[in-house]
Amino acid sequence: MSAFVSFKNVTKRFETLTAVDNVSLDIEKGEVFSLLGPSGCGKTTLLRMLAGLETPDSGRVILDGQDITNLPPNLRRVHTIFQNYALFPHMTVWDNIAFPLRVARYPKQEIARRVKGILELIRLGDHDYKYPSQISGGQKQRVAIARALVDQPQVLLLDEPLAALDLKLRQHMLLELDLIHDKVGITFLYVTHDQGEAMSLSDRIAVMNNGRIEQIDPPAKIYEAPRSSFVAAFIGDTNFLQGHVTSISHDYCNLAIVGLTSSVKSYNDKAIRAGSMVHLSVRPEKIHIAKTPPEFKDDLADKINLFSGVVEDIVYQGSHTKYWVKVGAHRIVTNMPHMRFQLDQEEITWGDSVALWWHADDAFMLEQFHATDAALIDPPAQYEEDVEIFRGTGNEP
Amino acid sequence: MKRSLLPIVILIIVLVFLYLPIVVLSLNSFNASRFSGTWDGFTLKWYSTLMQDRTIWQALVNSLIIATFATIGSCIIGTTAALALNRWQTRLQTLHNALIYTPLVVPEILMGMSLLLLFTALKIDCGRHTILLAHITFCVSFVAMTVLARLQDFDTSLIEAGRDLGATAFQAFIKIQLPLLMPGIIAGGLLAFTLSVDDFVITFFVSGPGSTTLPLRVYSMIKHSRQMPVINALSTLLLAVTFLAVIASRLLQIKRVSRSHPFISTTIGGTNK
Amino acid sequence: MNHKRLHEWIVSLPSLFWMVAFFAVPTLLVFALSFRPADTLGGIGAGWTLQTWSHLSNPNYPSIIWRTIWISLAATVICILLALPCAYAMARAPVRWRAILTTLIILPFWTNFLIRVFAWRQLLHPNGPLKQILVSIGIITPDTLLLYNSGAVLLVSVYSFLPFAILPIYAAAEKFDFSLLEAARDLGARSMRAFISVFIPGIRRGLISAALMVFIPALGSYVIPDLVGGPTSELLGNKIAQRTFFDRNLPHASALSALLAAGVLIPLALLALAMRKRPNERGGVGSDRKKS
Repeated sequence: MSAFVSFKNVTKRFETLTAVDNVSLDIEKGEVFSLLGPSGCGKTTLLRMLAGLETPDSGRVILDGQDITNLPPNLRRVHTIFQNYALFPHMTVWDNIAFPLRVARYPKQEIARRVKGILELIRLGDHDYKYPSQISGGQKQRVAIARALVDQPQVLLLDEPLAALDLKLRQHMLLELDLIHDKVGITFLYVTHDQGEAMSLSDRIAVMNNGRIEQIDPPAKIYEAPRSSFVAAFIGDTNFLQGHVTSISHDYCNLAIVGLTSSVKSYNDKAIRAGSMVHLSVRPEKIHIAKTPPEFKDDLADKINLFSGVVEDIVYQGSHTKYWVKVGAHRIVTNMPHMRFQLDQEEITWGDSVALWWHADDAFMLEQFHATDAALIDPPAQYEEDVEIFRGTGNEP
Repeated sequence: MKRSLLPIVILIIVLVFLYLPIVVLSLNSFNASRFSGTWDGFTLKWYSTLMQDRTIWQALVNSLIIATFATIGSCIIGTTAALALNRWQTRLQTLHNALIYTPLVVPEILMGMSLLLLFTALKIDCGRHTILLAHITFCVSFVAMTVLARLQDFDTSLIEAGRDLGATAFQAFIKIQLPLLMPGIIAGGLLAFTLSVDDFVITFFVSGPGSTTLPLRVYSMIKHSRQMPVINALSTLLLAVTFLAVIASRLLQIKRVSRSHPFISTTIGGTNK
Repeated sequence: MNHKRLHEWIVSLPSLFWMVAFFAVPTLLVFALSFRPADTLGGIGAGWTLQTWSHLSNPNYPSIIWRTIWISLAATVICILLALPCAYAMARAPVRWRAILTTLIILPFWTNFLIRVFAWRQLLHPNGPLKQILVSIGIITPDTLLLYNSGAVLLVSVYSFLPFAILPIYAAAEKFDFSLLEAARDLGARSMRAFISVFIPGIRRGLISAALMVFIPALGSYVIPDLVGGPTSELLGNKIAQRTFFDRNLPHASALSALLAAGVLIPLALLALAMRKRPNERGGVGSDRKKS
């Protein structure tokens, strides 16, 4: 089965900057597909090329089997929700939504029927006479969605649609977008720099960096099995460990990690040979912390990596507490949720000696590693010495 | 911290300075005495003399005709100029920009003189048409400047949204850009109309027989006539019209804005939300 | 790409054509015609000559040029000295007052220029109210002439151009962060010192445009010296009009206009080069814009 939307070797340059660098990408019909990456990674340029607002320097853009690379935007059945919504300020809600139907010269009755229908879908039937300035941010957002959906496009493009909303509203609108997608069932291409949005909405995510795609996978796989250090560090928090393979047994291998005295066991699905260099990513919530470790049974003890270290920093974050622990030459970060059974343990505080452990299956081997990506992880380590005097209050996120 | 009152005192003195001559002039238009120094009682006789002076009314008609066409012409040329200046950033536009902006800083007498030389060199007889050409020329810059200011605040994603939703480039211009630009064009047009009706120096140089505008008529009255009180009466009428127009446009602007463009009124008034 | 250029030309053409035909060409004509002889019918003769320019050394002209410059300079200085405290007071006024004050300042500007000059002519007239008041309090004697001298020209120039000075300074002052003044006071500066070393540099751009807005029209002033000045207070503008309308010597008027044009355009061009920051100046300054 061929894809509904295809980018084939698409490149776009702005003067000296290569915004999109030889990107190929397939999107299935009816899917919610996200482009996720930091600002300037080329995700918006890619979206604008599908909308027809930019023309690629090379490569093709295919929609439903038709080459639309050079088709002007008004001849594509693709509509965009802009970051600032781009509602026409001189038109009422009704006129805004009717706009695409009017320029396409639909009959009057058909326009009225459709606008009415979509206003009901977004529950703004009572506000049709208002101007965009007279409605709230969330309502503007819904009008923009209605306007883009009213003539049933083949693809809906969403360019950071929630960026202008506050946190509560953003969560609400996420659910609403999900609901709307369930109802209309058309293909969504969603551009965002917010991993949380992409995770909760998408069927698949393409993580972009410097105009290239780093990884395309469903959200869980992106998070649990990042291919590159960029993906691991951009989506959530992580610990990077570098070392080489000393021995391999079945599906597991033993690694000698730079800066750690004892070896680390890891699941090996990459058919790696002894002696080769590897990079591990271990998510903080996969690492347990306690003053004294529990007893592990034999077969489990075999797959547990257990280290001891000294607590350097603690940040309370509501749902969990974050600890930075000095282990050998590393500062390992770990998240612990607050649960009843932990309260029974001794409370951990600055300077305590603690045990850290994680299961060999919970570390992930990266295919690509760039040392600069480590900077994406929020690093209070650098401030530690300088802000000593503020320690009591200065650690809030 | 205690603030000095000196600036406020100076501001009040300046305001008095600005309005005193105008007030004295208006009062004198009702003064029965020929001389402004003495008050001989209230009269309306200067106004009735004024009403009977047909040359003034003919001059007013001339002024209004010229101003109307100058406004239309300069709005079209000025708006296209602003669109071009805003959209492209080429060497051509650098030159274009210089051509639009320099007239704003050139003394009027220079522009009048140069246009007179042009018409003389081309052997064109001066009259209403030459005045119109001159007026369009100096109004274009003001319209372009006003429209450009509005264009620079213009959110280009609105045009993109229009194109994205199926409008052709032309439809997007007519249905989105032009209506949103209208307040700027109207403001520029009002400015052009006022400048055209008001202009004396340039008009003086390029006028010919039978093309006397109101300022030209006022000038010759001041220069040659001894009927000073009649000029007072005319001036008072003109002042009244101007003041009412300014006040009305301020009020209208606020009303119109709040009706059709509520987004402006919320930023000005800040009470709508 | 070609299509884009064509589009640009089509949109630019109306104004480009108009301004070249009715502004650029006539301005160049002023310079060109000053080298042509006058013909007896008041038109322009054939051939080229430097005679007109040599006439300008006539002792009459240097004094007129000198007077034009000093009256313009004096008007500029006085306007700015008056405008500074006014703009400061306006910018520090409560927000709802600012709009009213701005309207009050602009309103006289919307009234016809001739009428404003005429109002002063009447006020200063030998039979006018001001003269009588000043005589009755004994400041002047009955035979002092308030009208038809350089003082009157300067006074009315200041009156006419004052709004042009106040508005740009006010526009700059309104954007000024007044907490800087408080910071300066807090750091120990006296209020006058704070005003001069913090406020003035902060509104520099407003001051420059105010100075230009007064000085340039003052240089080309014609109506004011014509209506309230006398033979001893003629300015360049009067001479241009005289040569045009009474002597009908267009080359002579052209030479004087060329002098005026050079006096205005050359400093402006230098200033534009020096600033190179005007938001609408593009092209060559593109790299500057990116940095800021």
